[in-house]
Formats: sequence, C-alpha cells, structure tokens
Amino acid sequence: MNKARKKGETFTHRILRLSFAGWGAKIGLAWVALLALLAVFAPFIANSMPLLASENGKITAPVLHFLSIEDIVVLAAFFILVTLFLSPLRQSLKTLLLTFVILIVGVTIISKQLIVEKQNIVYTEFREQIAANKYDWVVMPPIPYAPRDYLRDARRPPLQAPLADKQYLHWMGTEENGGDVLSRMIHASRIALGIGFLATGIAMVIGVILGGLMGYFSGVVDILGMRLVEIFESIPTLFLLLTFVAFFGRSIYIMMVIIGLTSWSGYARYIRAEFLRLRKQDFVQATIASGLPLRSILFRHMLPNGVAPLLVGVSFGVASAILAEATLSFLGLGLVDSPSWGQMLNQAVKSSVFNWWMAVFPGGAIFMTVFAYNLMGEALRDAIDPQLAKKAGVVT
Amino acid sequence: MSLLQVKELHTHLQSGGTLVKAVDGVSFTIEKGETFCLVGESGSGKSITALSIIQLLPQGISSHPAGNILFDWRKDSGSHETVEMLTLPDDKLCDIRGSRIAMIFQEPMTSLNPVYSIGEQITEALLLHHPGMSDEEARARALKAMQDVQIDKAKSRFNNYPHQLSGGQRQRVMIAMALACEPDLLIADEPTTALDVTVQAEILKLIHELQQRKGMSVLFITHDFGVVAQIAHKVGVMKQGKLVEVGETQQVLRQPKHSYTRKLLAAVPDNLPRRDTQPTDTNTLETLISVKDLDVFFPIRKGLLQRVTDYVRAVDGVSLDIKKGKVVALVGESGSGKTTLGRAILQLQRPTTGSVKMLDTELVGLNNKELRPWRRHLQIAFQDPQSSLNPRLLIATALTEPMKVHGIGESDEERIELAADVLESVQLKREFLWRYPHEFSGGQRQRIGLARALALNPEFIVCDEITSALDVSVQAEILELLLDIRKQRDLTLLFITHNISVVEYLSDETVVMKQGKIVEQGATADVCGNPQQAYTKKLIAAVPRL
Repeated sequence: MNKARKKGETFTHRILRLSFAGWGAKIGLAWVALLALLAVFAPFIANSMPLLASENGKITAPVLHFLSIEDIVVLAAFFILVTLFLSPLRQSLKTLLLTFVILIVGVTIISKQLIVEKQNIVYTEFREQIAANKYDWVVMPPIPYAPRDYLRDARRPPLQAPLADKQYLHWMGTEENGGDVLSRMIHASRIALGIGFLATGIAMVIGVILGGLMGYFSGVVDILGMRLVEIFESIPTLFLLLTFVAFFGRSIYIMMVIIGLTSWSGYARYIRAEFLRLRKQDFVQATIASGLPLRSILFRHMLPNGVAPLLVGVSFGVASAILAEATLSFLGLGLVDSPSWGQMLNQAVKSSVFNWWMAVFPGGAIFMTVFAYNLMGEALRDAIDPQLAKKAGVVT
Repeated sequence: MSLLQVKELHTHLQSGGTLVKAVDGVSFTIEKGETFCLVGESGSGKSITALSIIQLLPQGISSHPAGNILFDWRKDSGSHETVEMLTLPDDKLCDIRGSRIAMIFQEPMTSLNPVYSIGEQITEALLLHHPGMSDEEARARALKAMQDVQIDKAKSRFNNYPHQLSGGQRQRVMIAMALACEPDLLIADEPTTALDVTVQAEILKLIHELQQRKGMSVLFITHDFGVVAQIAHKVGVMKQGKLVEVGETQQVLRQPKHSYTRKLLAAVPDNLPRRDTQPTDTNTLETLISVKDLDVFFPIRKGLLQRVTDYVRAVDGVSLDIKKGKVVALVGESGSGKTTLGRAILQLQRPTTGSVKMLDTELVGLNNKELRPWRRHLQIAFQDPQSSLNPRLLIATALTEPMKVHGIGESDEERIELAADVLESVQLKREFLWRYPHEFSGGQRQRIGLARALALNPEFIVCDEITSALDVSVQAEILELLLDIRKQRDLTLLFITHNISVVEYLSDETVVMKQGKIVEQGATADVCGNPQQAYTKKLIAAVPRL
C-alpha cells in the first residue's frame, strides 16, 4: 500500500518535482520569492520612520501607525496564505481558495472601516525629531527612506549618484526629486507582482471558461467563440489601455482588469484545443453516459487533463503583463505618484543628462522578473512534455 | 544451409535505469521457402526478435550480450556467403536490408510517407538497391510489383498518394515495396492486425501466393492462432523473451507440449468451454430497447460557405429490438457504423431521425436533464484501456461520483463500500480503489471500465469492442467475467465486436452491419452457422480458424 501511494504520485506533484529539479526554474522561483517578500514587507524594509522608537520610556512603532490599507491587506494576505499552507488541515484546493478569498475580502472591509489613512505624511519630521534627540533610542528600517520621501529640504542637489552623499546614504542613488531609488524599487515590486498575478488570473478564468465551452460544445458555440477570440486578438492592448487611461484616469486596478480582459484569447485557444481532443476520449464519453452534470465534466474530468499547456502559457503571460504595465508607465501614462519600474525608466530618459543608476536598476529588475517567469515557464513546459523532458535530462 | 539461423539470441533493452531482457535465449531456423510464425502475447519479445534479425533496434539502448544470427547472403553476383548479422558493418547491412531481407509493419497508415506518391516510393526502393537501373525500368518494375500484389488499376494508382488508398491497399503497397527487390526473407510484423477480417484474408492469401511463386521465406509475427493455422509451416511460441515451444504447425496446434501453449490455445474463443444455452422463447421476453428507423448522418461541408453537400450515412435506417436479458452481438467491419449505432442508442451521439425506446419511453429528443434519470440504466464500456479511465482521478472517485449524482448510497462511506463491492464483482481487490489508472494493466483497466458501468446498477450495457485491445488469454478472462456478471445481475448486453469467434462464444443474437445498414440479424447459431446473405457468408468465411 505504501509503495502504491509513492508510485501513485499525483500528476501535479510529478510535474512540480520535474520542473523544479533543474537550476533554471530554481533561480526563477528564488527571484520571484524574493520579490514577493520585498513586496509584502516593503514598509518595514524601506521607510523614513522608525520601526520602533522609545519616547520618554514609552515604546511606539510609527511604521505600524502609518500603515496604509493596501499595506494591511497585503500583509494579511501573506500571513493567511502561510497559515493555510502550513495548517495541518488538509483541505481540498477549492476550500482553501475560498477561505482565502473570504478572509481577504473581510480584512479589506474591516480595515476600510477602522483605519483612517494618514494623508500628507511629512517624512522630514521624523529625521528632525531623531536629530533633535527626541527619542531615547530608535530602530530604523534597513533603508531609511520612504519611496515618496523627496528630501527636498536636504539642501543639496536632489539628483545623487549611488553612494555619493555620505550624510544621506543611497545605495542606488536618488531620482530627480531626491527620492531614494532602492526604496522606490522595493515598493514598485508590489505593482509588478500584483499586475502579473491579477491580470493573468482574470485572463485565465475567462480563457478557461470560454475555451472550455468552445472545445466541449464545438459546432456553433465554437464558431462564435472563435470569432470573439479573433475580435479580442485584433484589439491592440496598448491602445485600449491608452484610451481607458484617458477616460477613467490612472488606476492600477483598471490597468490590471484591461490587461486581463484583452489577453485571455491565447488561454482560450489552448483550452479549446485540449478540450476538442479530450471530448472524444472514452473517459469523457463515460462521464456523459453516467449523466454527470456539465460542471463536473468540464472542470473535474476534462480540465485537469488539459491544463498543462495553459500553465506554461500563464507563466509567460505574467511576464508580458508586467511588461505591458512597464510600457505604459514608460510612456508616462502609468500611476502618478506610486513608483513603478516602468515609470522610473521613463524618469531616467526624461532628465537632461543620462543618469545610469535610474535606468540600470529598474531595467534590470524588469529584465530579471520577466526572465524568471520565462525560466519557470520553460521548465514547466519541458516537464509536461515527456519528449522534451528526456532531452533536457530531467527525467529520472 | 538454412536461410536464417538464430542461435541463443539475447537482446537486452535499456529502459530508464533498468535492463529489460526482451529476448532471452531464442533459437530457431528458417529454411528456404518456409513460413515461420512467431506467436505470443504482447510484450513477449516477438517484434524485438524480428528487429534484432534485421538490425533495426536503436543502437544506444539495445545490446546483444550473447547469440548469433546467421544469414545466408545471396550476393548479386550469385555467390552465397554466410554472414553474422549482429556484427556486420553498417554498409553491408544496408545492402542486405531491403534487398535480401525486407520487412512490413503493422500500421499501414503510418508506414508510408504521405508526401510522395506510392509509385515514387516503390521506385525509390528499387533504385536504391539497383543503382544501375534506369528510371523507366524501375518504373516498369514498380508497376509490375503493384500488379503482383493485385492492386486494381495499378497504372492509374501509380501516382496516387497514400491517403487516397484504403488500409488494405496501403498494406498491399507496403508488400509491393518489400517484394520489389525480390528478397529471400520477408519479415512481416503483425501485417494484418489493423485490417478487417475480409481484407486480412486477402492479404494472407496474397502473401501465400507470392511466397509460392518467388520461393521466399517468411517470418510472420502474429498473436492470432487462427492466422498461424492458415499460413505457417512451423511455429514458435514466445513467452517473456523465451521461445517455449517450436515445431510443425499441426503438431503445436493439435498436441501442444508446453503448458503455456496449451493455456494460450485454450483461451482462443473457438476453444473456450461452451456454456449451456437455455433456449427461451424470445417472444415471451419483454423488449428492453427498441430502435426504429434510426438514422445518424454526419454532414459533409464543402466550399467557402461550408454548405452541406452530402451526408456520411453512419447509421442508415436501422431497426432493432433488444429483448431483456439477451446478449446481442453487433458485428461488422470497420466503418460499418457499429460504434455509432451503440452510441446513438445511449444518446451519446444524437441521432438525426428515428426513435430509440427504452421500455416504451422515447429517448430521442430528450434534453440532457430529462435524460439523466435514464443514464443510470444505460451504460457503456469502451475499447481502449488507455483512454477509458481519467488518468487524474482515483478509481474510488471514478466509481463513486456517478453514484452520488444519481443518489445511490446515503453517505460517502457507503458509496465507497458499494464501489469496493463492485470492484470485487469484477474480480479486483478492494484496495484498488485507492490507486490511479496508470498503475493497472490493460486487462485490469478493462475490468475497472466494466466496474464503472456496473456501479450504477444498469439494466443495459453497450460493450464497445471491450476485448479487442487485449491479449487472447486476458480476453478469455474478460469474456467469462462478462457472462458471470450477466447471469448474476440479469443484464442485457449489446456487444459490439469485429471478432466472429467472440460472437459465437458470447451472444444469443447476432446483428451484422454493413455501411450503416443491417444486413442480417437473428439467433447467433443461425447467422454464424447458416448465413443467408452473401456479405455474411463472405465475412464468416474470412475468419481464420484453428
């Protein structure tokens, strides 16, 4: 029995084991994990206010005091995810996902009710208070600058090369307003990851449902569906995004939705092709003969057998969503105040002299992230295709 | 000097990290003009033996730790030389392959190159081995070869592409290609397995005639003892890489010495112990399924606007009554519409017109929701053990999910118990519930497929070629199991098959289909013993018997 269980390693486990056996996927995963940690703990890693401070014997945590709703939701999501993952209750994926979504929505609503976001934080105050020895002792974050802490009153040229200023140490220099580049990059990783996951998630859900219906029913449904796919494929995402930005203003969430809504056609094609192949398979015919409901046939019996190419497409899709946002920000149509990698690149180009540190670091980050997702996508593809897996030498 | 001497041949294959002894000490000789049959179940090493002789195994993964293959090489000059095939250098092997030893394969669909015409392919084979031959001469000989294998209108077929030919014709082209250079030894690896029984009879006759005329030897690989009885002079029975018995055909088939040979022969449907038939008056039985004027047409669309220009009449005006408790066999060659009819009865394929009634309820035209209560009474078991089970689901899930939908069993625990009982009724262990399909053999998967059909406790099961992909001994077990279950549960079966022997063993009534129409139907003993229609006669005469 024990042996059988071991032999009966599920498909998912086998694919994951094979994918992450090679070094490529491991590097990719490590980079994405690093980004995820930076994104979650950004306020504690790069901020102008003390993590902990003792004011006349009273210990305060200004960082916690000034957390925004977004910070709280992201932190909550991270801890809920970790708890669910480590919890001894082995629930099905569906229940776990449902719990997760419910908890996240709950946290968002509660924090909206309870927390008043502090507007116009004056970061210089903290520095002055520390300089004036107002605190007995302080613990500062590793990078003592908030992304929007523009050091305007530092009485020096705002643009600084890395490590140029001994008084204010900037590992990656500052941008033209005096904001710390490293701090901005860490906070921007949130946008990069968020847009990747949410936009691709939206695209995947639409693609799977429409592609599944097209492939399963074929005939008229398929013909209409494919025309819809073609219509969406003919819309250039970038121009649609430009139009929407012009109409609805600059919101990261609208961007995510637009990128998601326009990029599902590829996934729909994958799933459609797989379902067309699967629907004639005997085990699917058997489920129909057993009178199972359509939902079960589509998502329980067919989807797990046809999901392989989709997974690969998704990992590339995440990369292209990040690129889309970067492009938009680079064109100056991204978010106004929140830092993003594309917008930082844009700044590098706009200034009169070329400041290498403003181009290399965000550019490198975009490159590394897209590269990491592509590495994982490629490893996944190789692991799913037995012939490629043999060539790559990852098969045991 | 014999044409071919195989002495203590060992062939080892490297598969992953393990060494498979695919051929383990096989010795036999083939004389000139003789047909030697290698027979055995799948995985017994028949094909590997043949590929070792012609040296077509991939170099990297195969090795021959011991043994000799001595071949009497007739050179173009007329002199003879005995060569050791295992150690022969590649250039000499190339001279022998194709010109002195030719091979034909099982799958006629994939062994021809689809982008060249068949004439070109035969001509190329000729020119390769006769560099001095002129193009005209090669074409003339290719044409002659096509006429030799009795391809009708060989001249006009010369420029046809493989997809324009039927399976039987393609196999003839393969034989023409193999024989164009007049080899001394023809290796035929299951050349008729993928073909219909009437086509098989023609091909076997053709090979026999050509052999007589040209005096070549044939190494014929098959799993079918009927074919062996028809064509072989000598036969070798293989089991797990070993040749367990060699001898004259009549002797091996009539007085088998080895227990394995006896077991195999006993499992041939012709030799299975006849069950006691209790002739019941069919008129008193209730009609369970009544099919009337059923049509299933598939439109052929052509042109820019995809206009429907014609229909493929897969099932064409079929009427059929299936009495409760009977086993009805549906026989016919490939493309006769057997499977489509089976699926149309279950409404898996919606009929174009006509009526299918189950106990006076019309099933045609019901929507999925209205059909659902009927689904549990009408089940199906499939041919291909590979694709009939969902590879991502536990057997337990596959068996209990339909039960849940139809409200069988109160709780999940109870359904698991029921599923385990069903597994036991198809003679599998209860623990198998917790395994995935890939952990089972083909025969076990077919049992699980049956178990899935039985899980809903149906009244009627369509068995669609459920034993065709199985070895003969496994087939015998499944057939016996099927009869047992039927007796226990009072099932009605529609057994779709192309194997007449199975029909004779299993069924009460037989329906013969051809091109979507029913040609003949009646009690099995009448249809098979005393066929009335020309087509049925031809079909039954073509079956190779022991």
